[in-house]
Amino acid sequence: MEFLNYFDNVFTVYHIALLVGGTFAGIILGALPGLSPTMSVALLIPFTFHMKPESGLILLGAMYTATVAGGAISAILVNVPGAPANIATAMDGHQMAKKGLAREALHYCFISSFVGGIFGVFILIFFTPPLARLSLEFGTTELFWIAILGITIIATIDSKSVIKGLLSGLFGLMLATIGDNPVLGVERFVFTDHLEGGVNIVVGLIGLFAMPQVLNLMEKYYSEKNAVLSSEGHSTLMQSFRFVFSKLKALSIGSFVGSLIGIIPGAGGQIAGLVAYDQTKKVSSNQSNYGKGEPEGIIAAESANNSMVGPSLIPLLTLSIPGSPTAAVLLGGLLIHGIFPGHEIFISENTAPVVWTFIDSLIIAQIFMLIIGLFLSRHSGWIMKVPDNYMAVSILVLAVFGTYSIGNSYSDVIIMVVLGTIMFFASKAGFSAVPVVLGIILGPIAENNFLLGKLIGGARYGDDWVIYFTTGTINVTLIAICIISITYGLYSNRKSKRSA
Amino acid sequence: MAFIQIENQREVLNMKQYLKISTLIVTALAVLLLFTSFNEVFNPSPWGENEDYLFPRFIAGGIAVLALLLWFERDDKGKPTNFIDLLPGLGLILAYLISMNTIGFYMASMIMFFAVIMIYKKPEETKDFWRVLLIKLSISVVFILILYGLFTLMLQVRLPRGLLF
Repeated sequence: MEFLNYFDNVFTVYHIALLVGGTFAGIILGALPGLSPTMSVALLIPFTFHMKPESGLILLGAMYTATVAGGAISAILVNVPGAPANIATAMDGHQMAKKGLAREALHYCFISSFVGGIFGVFILIFFTPPLARLSLEFGTTELFWIAILGITIIATIDSKSVIKGLLSGLFGLMLATIGDNPVLGVERFVFTDHLEGGVNIVVGLIGLFAMPQVLNLMEKYYSEKNAVLSSEGHSTLMQSFRFVFSKLKALSIGSFVGSLIGIIPGAGGQIAGLVAYDQTKKVSSNQSNYGKGEPEGIIAAESANNSMVGPSLIPLLTLSIPGSPTAAVLLGGLLIHGIFPGHEIFISENTAPVVWTFIDSLIIAQIFMLIIGLFLSRHSGWIMKVPDNYMAVSILVLAVFGTYSIGNSYSDVIIMVVLGTIMFFASKAGFSAVPVVLGIILGPIAENNFLLGKLIGGARYGDDWVIYFTTGTINVTLIAICIISITYGLYSNRKSKRSA
Repeated sequence: MAFIQIENQREVLNMKQYLKISTLIVTALAVLLLFTSFNEVFNPSPWGENEDYLFPRFIAGGIAVLALLLWFERDDKGKPTNFIDLLPGLGLILAYLISMNTIGFYMASMIMFFAVIMIYKKPEETKDFWRVLLIKLSISVVFILILYGLFTLMLQVRLPRGLLF
């Protein structure tokens, strides 16, 4: 219970002001497509140079927490996720907004983010030593199977057609292979100079979600009224709280899955929301309503992506291995302030007060995230009233800005527009953007670990290197989950086609 | 006026045609991937112990198998494309991309913003043309000034530079 001793350090006027400012700015930046949590935290690091270590970390922690939740605002209101972690939120959130339930969707989002976030921080506080050991068990083959598990989710998440889902996922994996081979360093599929840097995850995310939305708004401008309808929700805040807590199954699956994925180094929170969404859908009695505005989908996705925040710091603080890309940037922030991760970080007289104050501040940041998020939800209605032509061009300009600012590259902008235009036409034939993005995210993880695993397996077992991939408790468990997931996906696909 | 007035017409592509076209595109993609991985221009030793293209070959194989299955897919869920309304937007986006490197992000964005809200406008907005034009021009300028203040002055993000900004 050592963490209780350091709350005093958080409750100073200066630190509370940093928490409020960081949370507010984080929600706003998170809502801008392209300004991902990773980039927002990176942008903020120079501002912390002259602060005390605990103050700097409080600001960075508040920003990390808030940007993950803020990304859901644009996902719900304009169907463009602010960050990869919010992809699953867009699937049902935007459908709710189109039904005039945007305010409710935002309420569910921030309340479940709060619950997941608190759960994740308590996991960080109480389970750090055993979970740090567990994260060490994940070697190359285990991470390869984690990526494959993600791909099986691709097949089942788009339940209308497993073939199209898998094809989209493979297209994403193919896009991820463009550029340098991550292990051997050889350049592949660089047919033009614009492809030299490969396809960045965030560039893919913006292109695949923002551009089709822009083209959709233009295409339907004359034939339909504003696609996004009124934001006049019917539920009060208390009703929203009661509703979220009545969905305990979605809330607990989201929080548990998010925490588990958060501690796996390299897996990142980007897939936490999607895995939680998929698992909640599989056990839900409202399966047919998923993708059409099912609140359980938002609750599972948002509790997962925020519960990942705390556990992603476990391997970071104890082993110097970041659990997510944003945690990697945060590692830079720790090192700048002279804090070197390791087992002694929680014991040493110099670092323990800073680290415990930082962890305590994450709890308080969740509370501010909830209050500020709910406040902003009340005033989000104006976005719903923006005419489609203004909305289309605003999304386009922000998408171009977000894409360019990732690497100051004009090529990224061209890739974003081309990918988005292809996705717009592909969506007409029933293909979904979600598996493509997941493919781009999982591609480097899958290929890196496949090649490394093959090298290690080859050294140990010679030509029978496959044995290295198929032995060990975690490997066998992950393979079993993959098989169950695919079988279930095919079964539910067939069932839904029969009933149709 | 010179601004384009777009008729509410629909050019509908049959869903089955869409599916067949996408199957052909996907197959071509798999063939391109395999061709590249076995071509000595891109891969100096395509048949050796070289593992540079091992993973992409697995992907290409998977795409080829799934493309075959897609050909026989019985799926009629899909949407037609309204090319008439879409083409001006696509043209503007192309012009926006080309002009951005010459006249800069902010100037190109302002022109793009103004062009889109003028071209895509409801019939009732054409009644008082000059008033509408002036209001929309002001909105475009204010929008870009807000972006300039937020991105360049506050966040100090670098963007393509050109005229004025």
